Amino acid sequence: MTVAIDKLTQPASNADYTIDTGHKKLGLGIGFVGLMISMIAAILVISAGLEVADGGSETTVGQLLAVAFGLNTLALATLKVGIGVVLVGILVRLWWRIESIKASLPAIQAEGGGTNVPKTSPAGDFTVSDTEPAEMPIHKMAKTLWAPMLAMGYMLVVVGLVAAIIGAVNVGTDPSTAIGASAWAQGLQFLGEAFVLAGISFLLATILRGLRQGGGQVQQALGVPVLTLKMPTTAKGGIALMVSGVMLGIVQLIGYITVTTFETSAESAVRVGAWFAALGPLRELSLGLLLAGIVLFLATIGTVLQFQFWRIRSIVTSDTGATK
Amino acid sequence: MTTATFDTKTTTKAPEALVPQKAGSKLWKPMFVMALMGFAVGIVLAFVRSDAIFSGDFQDAAALGHFVSAAMFLGFASVFAAISFAIARILGEFRVGGGTVQESSGSEVVTLKMPKTGKAFIGLMMMAMMLIVGAVIVHVFAGIAILDGQTTGIASAEAVDYLEAARRLGVSIYLLAITFGLATIIQVLRFQSIRIRDLAR
Repeated sequence: MTVAIDKLTQPASNADYTIDTGHKKLGLGIGFVGLMISMIAAILVISAGLEVADGGSETTVGQLLAVAFGLNTLALATLKVGIGVVLVGILVRLWWRIESIKASLPAIQAEGGGTNVPKTSPAGDFTVSDTEPAEMPIHKMAKTLWAPMLAMGYMLVVVGLVAAIIGAVNVGTDPSTAIGASAWAQGLQFLGEAFVLAGISFLLATILRGLRQGGGQVQQALGVPVLTLKMPTTAKGGIALMVSGVMLGIVQLIGYITVTTFETSAESAVRVGAWFAALGPLRELSLGLLLAGIVLFLATIGTVLQFQFWRIRSIVTSDTGATK
Repeated sequence: MTTATFDTKTTTKAPEALVPQKAGSKLWKPMFVMALMGFAVGIVLAFVRSDAIFSGDFQDAAALGHFVSAAMFLGFASVFAAISFAIARILGEFRVGGGTVQESSGSEVVTLKMPKTGKAFIGLMMMAMMLIVGAVIVHVFAGIAILDGQTTGIASAEAVDYLEAARRLGVSIYLLAITFGLATIIQVLRFQSIRIRDLAR
């Protein structure tokens, strides 16, 4: 399975690098489907608002909101899967870019270019070796786990949608089942969202792996010292936020499961309301932390690119650029 | 295939980063910090609200509901802005880095003009930001109105639903904007793969 996932992101080195791989169109297409589902959910929520304004039935309002919640979370997960597809496209292109640099750099390398090793780089500290750097454990994990996380996350969101529909059907007739199903829907769907975002984080880490290994391969093929940027602080922060986000995703699911054990009574309704009031923002915090982690991974990609262009320039001009 | 199939600009010097890319480099960090602050305030208010519900103080709970949503979605608006700015920064690195490598090799500098996906990225990002921030502002005013004892207009029960619809749609549009931003990176990588081979010819 790992080999199959690798093939999705790392094309054969002799493949035609000029072709349009279709990832961009597919990713955007999935994104538009997500937006349409989101619009349907928004219409349902507005309908619920109109129903409230007209003094309509509470059951109808509850049903509309339950289905809208499930659909909206599905829409967000669909949009994120679209982002995942585009990131796979970036990975494929990244490897072709590495092949292009490998093929072209010997022809434009300056005499002695890249042989002098500076002490510093504008992007941060680096290591020097003779060969491509060893793969980091987090990169090994990321390239194996991004696809299972995306798939598992999306499945949880779909299962949560089913729970939301079950909840909607029972609003007004069986309050206990309705509350239980609503709790399961919220808990499962947001754990699913957390997994999808973790999958995206792993894809970004796989992009960082490609930049690291590819950069090493290019320098090794040229026979110059292999300079590799040390892991920036932003990458470490990204990992910490991602782990915190996923853990919080699990905690909020446990919280919602706890709510399903509450008895059905007027007193208990207040208790359920209080728990929901805390769990809603908690599940949002889980996603917020994962998104913050994604910011740091993207920032790391920016820093690594800055380092790589600096290194390529030092090979092309034989200028170490240490002070630049 | 050559770079002639792309919409490009040829110069003798490496180009500077575009204004959104410069803004991206400077603003991703403040937006990141603002996001964390928004989430922290939101979660504290959520626990205060939970306690208000337990205590049967439903007016405060209703007002706090608006304040919690405002804080959390200020956090989301900021984190999505930080993601967008980080993507813009990456695009800036490609633009400036690609240009300097071409200039260093003694070649003319061919730079990809901003693709349509890049323009869509900026347009959708602004639209989504306005939608979410607009909802956040109304949430704050609604919370204040409820504390003042109002029950109609933005303080009404149905207003919660309308604001929720706006917020959710804003998040979806933001995610689509990010997809467009990342799609632009695919375009840039494709261009650079072809361009660097041209340099060797």
